[in-house]
Amino acid sequence: MKIIISGKNLKKSYKMSKTNIIQALNNVDIEVKEGDFSAIVGPSGCGKSTLLHILGLLDRPDEGTLTIDGIDVSKMKEKQAHKLRAKKIGFVFQGFNLIPTLTALENVMLAGKYGGLKFKERKVKALNLLEKMGLKDRVNHKPNELSGGEQQRIALARALINEPSLILADEPTGELDSKTSLEIIEMLKRFNRDENRTFVIVTHNDEVARACKKIIHLRDGKNA
Amino acid sequence: MEILRNMWRRKFRTFLTIFGIVIGMFAFTVMGSMALNFNKMIDGGKRFFTGQISIMPKGSSYMGGSGGMLPVDTLNKIAQVEGVEAVAAGIELPMEEPNPDDPIGSSMSFGVPPTIEGTDLGSSYRNRNWVTLDMKEGRMLEKGDSDDKIVIGSTIALDKNWHVGDKVKIRGREFKVIGIINKTMTGPDSYIFMPIQPARELYIESNPFLKSLKEQSDNAAKISDAALATMSLETRDQILQAKSFKTEDVNTVASASWEEGFDSEVVANRIKDQFKDEVLVLSPQKMGEEIDKAMVIFNAIILGVALIALVVGSFSIINTMVMSISERTKEIGIKKALGASGWAIAREYTLEAGVIGLLGGAIGMGLGVLTAVLLNHRMAQKGAEIFLIQTNFLVTVIIFSFAIGIIAGIIPAMRAAKMKAVDAIREL
Repeated sequence: MKIIISGKNLKKSYKMSKTNIIQALNNVDIEVKEGDFSAIVGPSGCGKSTLLHILGLLDRPDEGTLTIDGIDVSKMKEKQAHKLRAKKIGFVFQGFNLIPTLTALENVMLAGKYGGLKFKERKVKALNLLEKMGLKDRVNHKPNELSGGEQQRIALARALINEPSLILADEPTGELDSKTSLEIIEMLKRFNRDENRTFVIVTHNDEVARACKKIIHLRDGKNA
Repeated sequence: MEILRNMWRRKFRTFLTIFGIVIGMFAFTVMGSMALNFNKMIDGGKRFFTGQISIMPKGSSYMGGSGGMLPVDTLNKIAQVEGVEAVAAGIELPMEEPNPDDPIGSSMSFGVPPTIEGTDLGSSYRNRNWVTLDMKEGRMLEKGDSDDKIVIGSTIALDKNWHVGDKVKIRGREFKVIGIINKTMTGPDSYIFMPIQPARELYIESNPFLKSLKEQSDNAAKISDAALATMSLETRDQILQAKSFKTEDVNTVASASWEEGFDSEVVANRIKDQFKDEVLVLSPQKMGEEIDKAMVIFNAIILGVALIALVVGSFSIINTMVMSISERTKEIGIKKALGASGWAIAREYTLEAGVIGLLGGAIGMGLGVLTAVLLNHRMAQKGAEIFLIQTNFLVTVIIFSFAIGIIAGIIPAMRAAKMKAVDAIREL
C-alpha cells in the first residue's frame, strides 16, 4: 500500500527564552499509509499539535526526514509548501474555523480556489460535497447561522474539495456534544471507507481514538 | 465581494477611513478643476503671446501697470527692422472706470478682468498661433469698420446680457455690438474689441494727464498761424509743444509679427538692441518662459494638496489595515492552512485597501464635481466659471485614490503575507 506519510527521527524544539527551550518532538517516527484512519493520542503537551503542524507543512522539523506522498518536505520552503498544502492536505480544526463573512458554499469554494480549481468546477464540487454532508439547504448560510455539527461538516467538505491525499483533523469533535461527535466520526469513517481517504486525527477523545484503525501514542515528545 | 463584506464588518472604522479619503479627494478634485481652468486660461494667453513679439513702453511690465506710451513714430521705425513683418499698435484699458470706493474691484477677481482691446485694424500684423477667433454670433471687426463697432467675448456677453445688434454704453460712449466670440476659456472671453481710435479716446479720457494734454493740443490747434506770430517766443514755444501732441501716439501695447523664414528670437533681439531706450521687448520664447513660471507655482499648490491628501489618506488606510489584519490573524492562519500563498494573502489585503481608497476617491470626487458644478452654475450667470471639469482629470483622481489605497495597503499586506502559518494557527 502506498505510503502517504513517512517521518523519521523528527525533532522540534521551541525557544521560549534564552534558558528555556522546550523539546516538543524528540525523535518521533510516524508512518501513515493510503487509506489509514489513524489517531495521534497522548496527554496535553506531549507534542500532538506540533506533530500535526509538521505533517500539515505549517511548520518544519528541526531534524529528521519527512516525506508526504513521496515528496521530501523536511526542508521545503514556504513558496512550495503552500502548493502542496492546497492540493495534497486537507485540514479540519477543533473550532471549525470557517471564515465568518463567507457562506457555507463560499467557505468550501475558497479552499478549491487555493487548490487551483476554476470557479465553475469548484462550485459544482462544493455543492456536491455539501449535499453529501446533508447540507444542501444550508449552502447560503453563514457560519453564525449554523450549528456546531453543521459547521464541522462544512469544514470537512472544505478539507475534501481538492481531493487531498491526506486529511489532518485536530480535535475535530472537541467542541461538539457526544451525539454530534459520533455523527462526525461516522462521516469521517464513511469518507475513509467509501473514498479511501487517509485521515490522521489528533484527539483526546477515547471514543474517537477507538474508532480509528491505528493509534499513534505520544508522550513527552516521543513515541510511546 | 468578500472584500466589501470584510469592510462592512467594522462599518464605523471603514466609514471613518473612507471619510478621510473623501476629504482629501474632494479637495483634490475642487482644487484640480480650478487649476485646470486656470491652466487653460494661462495656456490660451501663452498661445497668444508666443505667437507674436510683444512690445511695451519702457517702464511697464507685461502684467500691466504702464504709464508710458508707444509713439507711432517709434512703432513705424520698429516696423522697418529686418525681419519684422508688421507692427500693430494697441490700447488696453479696463472696461469700467474703477469705483473710487472700491478701487481694487474686479482687477483682483479670478481670471482676466473685463478689458477694452483697441486694435489697429489697418495693420497687416498677424498672430502666428491665434490667426482667427471663432465667432458665436455676428462677425469679427474688419478693416474699414466704423469707430462705434465692437466685438465682445462670451463672458462679457453673459455678464452684461449684451447681444449682437445691441447699442451699449462703455465708459459713457455708445457702441454697437456686431459680434460675440465663442468661449475660449481664456483672455478673449473678457475682452471688448474695438477699433483703436475710440479706444485711444477712452484711454485719454480716463487719464487726467493725457486729457489735459489733449485739451491743450485742441486749444492750440484753434490758434491760427497769424495769431501765433504775434505772440511772445516763450508762449509760442508752449503752444507749438502743445500742438505736437498726437492722439496716434497714445498706444499702451504693440505687437509685431515676423516675416516667414526669420527666427522670432533673432528679430526680437534686433528690436531690443535698436530700441532699448524706448521700449521693452518680450520675445515669444521669453513670454512662454514667464507664463510657464506662473503655471508652475499654481500647479505646485495643487500638487501640494494632492500630496497632503496622499499622506493623510495613506496613514489612515495603513492604520485601518494594520488593525484589520491583527484582528484577522486567525483567518490568515486558516487561509494559509488551506493553501493560500503569501502573495494571495497580500493581494487580498492590498485590494481591500485599494477598494477603501477607490470608494473614498469616488465619493470625494463626486462631491467635488457636485460642488464645482454648483459653483460654476452660480458663476455662469456672470460668465466667470472657475472650474473646468475634465473627464481625464476625474479618471486620474479615481486612479490616484485607488493607487493611494494600494500603496498604503502594501505594508500591512506584506506583514500579513509574511505571517507564519503556524503562528497564526496557534491563535486558533
